[in-house]
Amino acid sequence: MSVPGVRIRALRKSFRTFRRTQEVLHGIDLEVAPGEVVGLIGPNGAGKTTLMSCLLGFLNPDAGEIAIDGKANDDLDVRRRTGFVPERMNFDRRATGWEFLRYMARLAEVPRAEADARCKAMLERLGLTNAADKKLAQYSRGMLQRIGMCQALIHEPAYLFLDEPTSGLDPNGVLLVRDLITEQKARGAAVLLNSHQLAEIEKVCDRVLFLHRGVIERAETLRHADRIVVAVTMLPGFDAAAVERIAGAAPRENVVIVTVETETDIAALVRELVAGGAGVIDVRRHTTDLESIFRGAA
Amino acid sequence: MNRVVIAETLRRHLTNGAYLAFLALLAIVALGTSTFDKPASGWPSLVALLALIAGCGPIGPEFSSGTLQLILVKPVNRAAYLLSRVTGVVLAVWAAAILAALCELAGRALWSDSVPAAIIGSTLLNALIDTVLTVSLLTLLGSLTRAYFNVALYVVAMIGFGVLGMVLGMIRQSRNALGRFLIENPAVERGLSVVEQNLFPDLPPRLDTQWTLMILANAAVALVLACLAFRRREVPYGAD
Repeated sequence: MSVPGVRIRALRKSFRTFRRTQEVLHGIDLEVAPGEVVGLIGPNGAGKTTLMSCLLGFLNPDAGEIAIDGKANDDLDVRRRTGFVPERMNFDRRATGWEFLRYMARLAEVPRAEADARCKAMLERLGLTNAADKKLAQYSRGMLQRIGMCQALIHEPAYLFLDEPTSGLDPNGVLLVRDLITEQKARGAAVLLNSHQLAEIEKVCDRVLFLHRGVIERAETLRHADRIVVAVTMLPGFDAAAVERIAGAAPRENVVIVTVETETDIAALVRELVAGGAGVIDVRRHTTDLESIFRGAA
Repeated sequence: MNRVVIAETLRRHLTNGAYLAFLALLAIVALGTSTFDKPASGWPSLVALLALIAGCGPIGPEFSSGTLQLILVKPVNRAAYLLSRVTGVVLAVWAAAILAALCELAGRALWSDSVPAAIIGSTLLNALIDTVLTVSLLTLLGSLTRAYFNVALYVVAMIGFGVLGMVLGMIRQSRNALGRFLIENPAVERGLSVVEQNLFPDLPPRLDTQWTLMILANAAVALVLACLAFRRREVPYGAD
């Protein structure tokens, strides 16, 4: 039976130069389920790009298995449902944004009758309507990144591979990409995000993988499907025993970390804490501190 | 074959200022040479040059520019993509050759007593067939190299065969040990000449079925080898 989503087993890849062979990936195992956003982080030279290239079929692995929906990654049916945003958009710079996007849409087998409407909608969504007739040579880095997102999403892919999708984007663009990723997740797409922007990873990813020297050194779950972890900050002088009784966890300094099931539970918890005499000044989702983990791994 | 890729390749040519300028030059040369006694005397060389310029575009430079990454994640078979790119380029060169032939026919109809349509027509057909081989060979080289090394290798090989032939002829006439070997073994020079004519053929003055079959067979072999090379070739990430 085929497993939905992206599945990598014992992936190895080395590069041979004239004198020596350098193994870059040393047996990677990875899974991205439908509706899941997985972040890939690691220092330069960790093998992130090589891993992404193997996944997309640009590089031939030495050993291991790559399956997308139980099929090979170069299967045309898989390609039909794959979207990819490269770190840098490289294409014929004489083409206009519209020509480029329409070509990509038609290559992705978007029916001719729908292609124009979808291109128009994507350009509008990414704020490029006014630049549609400009040549790609006139696009800024951020605009190229936006049109890269357009071409990746135009056929509503089930598998989305994003390589530094926010690099070169202004804050509005970053927010837009974040929204788009969230929409793809809600649509049920499996998303693999390679980024150095730890804050972005934290905000959109369900899990994060730390790749270091060709191995996945650490895997952290940032968001659980069945529970929410929140950090509640209170004014000093609260009754620690009362807070522990209400929250079910002991506060450290003036913060208590609580696991609840739904957002309604968060509201109920805050109400109870306030009723118990605690001055709640901040409530936010609690995620792993990626920066410290990154520092540790690097 | 992928119609979208063929149409895009054609579109890129038809919207390219350099290509359109070349078409204008071809038309002027064809009209100008229509006053010459010898039919089809100027534009076939320009068509061959256009095949060389346009034919170096597929695959090799796309590796270096990083364009292929966007294409290869789409549901397009690599061999189909390669063949579609070749078809698009060939069609663009064919359009130029047909324009040139029509211009010469028009010029001769206006300014000459006779219109040697048969000669112009057969030269055109031979030029169209030769274009297929040139573009196929450049694509084969492009599937093995990066950037525009394909056209460099093609030109070096074309010149190299000519120079090698001349050098062997001079050695043969020098009558030293190597010269005597060449005289005793004429197959060496003949073989070199056959290879040269297979890869860089001279256009025959008339339609020649044997020549046509040879060219098309060579083009087919080049394309099969190009597809095989491209099928397993790793695509580097990012641009050179």
